[in-house]
Amino acid sequence: MNKRQVVLESISALLIMLFLYASVSKILDFDRFIGEMNNQPFPNSWTPFLVWTVPSLEIAISLALIFERTRMVGFIASLVLMTLFTIYTGAILLHFFAYVPCSCGGVIRKLSWPQHLVFNLFFVALSVMGIILQRRSFFKSILITKNSFV
Amino acid sequence: MKKIKLIIMTLAIAFSIGGAFATAPRLPQDCQGATQYYFNGGYVLAGRLGVDYICVTPSSAVCTYYKVGSTYTPCMNGVYCTSNCRSSNPSPKKAKN
Repeated sequence: MNKRQVVLESISALLIMLFLYASVSKILDFDRFIGEMNNQPFPNSWTPFLVWTVPSLEIAISLALIFERTRMVGFIASLVLMTLFTIYTGAILLHFFAYVPCSCGGVIRKLSWPQHLVFNLFFVALSVMGIILQRRSFFKSILITKNSFV
Repeated sequence: MKKIKLIIMTLAIAFSIGGAFATAPRLPQDCQGATQYYFNGGYVLAGRLGVDYICVTPSSAVCTYYKVGSTYTPCMNGVYCTSNCRSSNPSPKKAKN
């Protein structure tokens, strides 16, 4: 196992821990999660969609990150989701919304919004690193597949 | 190599699921799981968070209380609000009775 692979596995493990922890926490305390989602500055009609979509996406990303073949998709999805969360956090910090509730799983909800921003940016950076490191082996596998057809 | 990868992934999954269970709120200790009241001269049922009211933060005011025995104990911070909550000047709910 070379250095790059160790780093890749570690990044995947950290992202899996984040998404799996957050999704399982939400599912374990689902009523509270619904209440907190209703407390967000979105229309309440979005809640039934969001309370199922967010944890499902987090679990799907975790699963994608576990397997080598789907890891690239996992990193990209992780980057997109974490970027959306970061934009939302930034909007809250810039007082884009009049009130600032939190809807995060488990102990993450205890973070303040500036801490949330740093936390999210860290995982955005990890996702970007994951994409860069994974890209090489991703393209290599595509080349191998192409050559096997020739 | 595959063995190391398997160990890392197993640990990550075990820690995340185990951690989620370990930090999951146990209902009697978690005030938000209890029936919520707000104070408006007397204690009144608050309703459902996000549906009937929201707690506008940041504010050091007590938004809702929950009952421990016969005592009303502060639970959530913020301004109890049911209308104009998204404006810069949210208005607290008027008493129903």
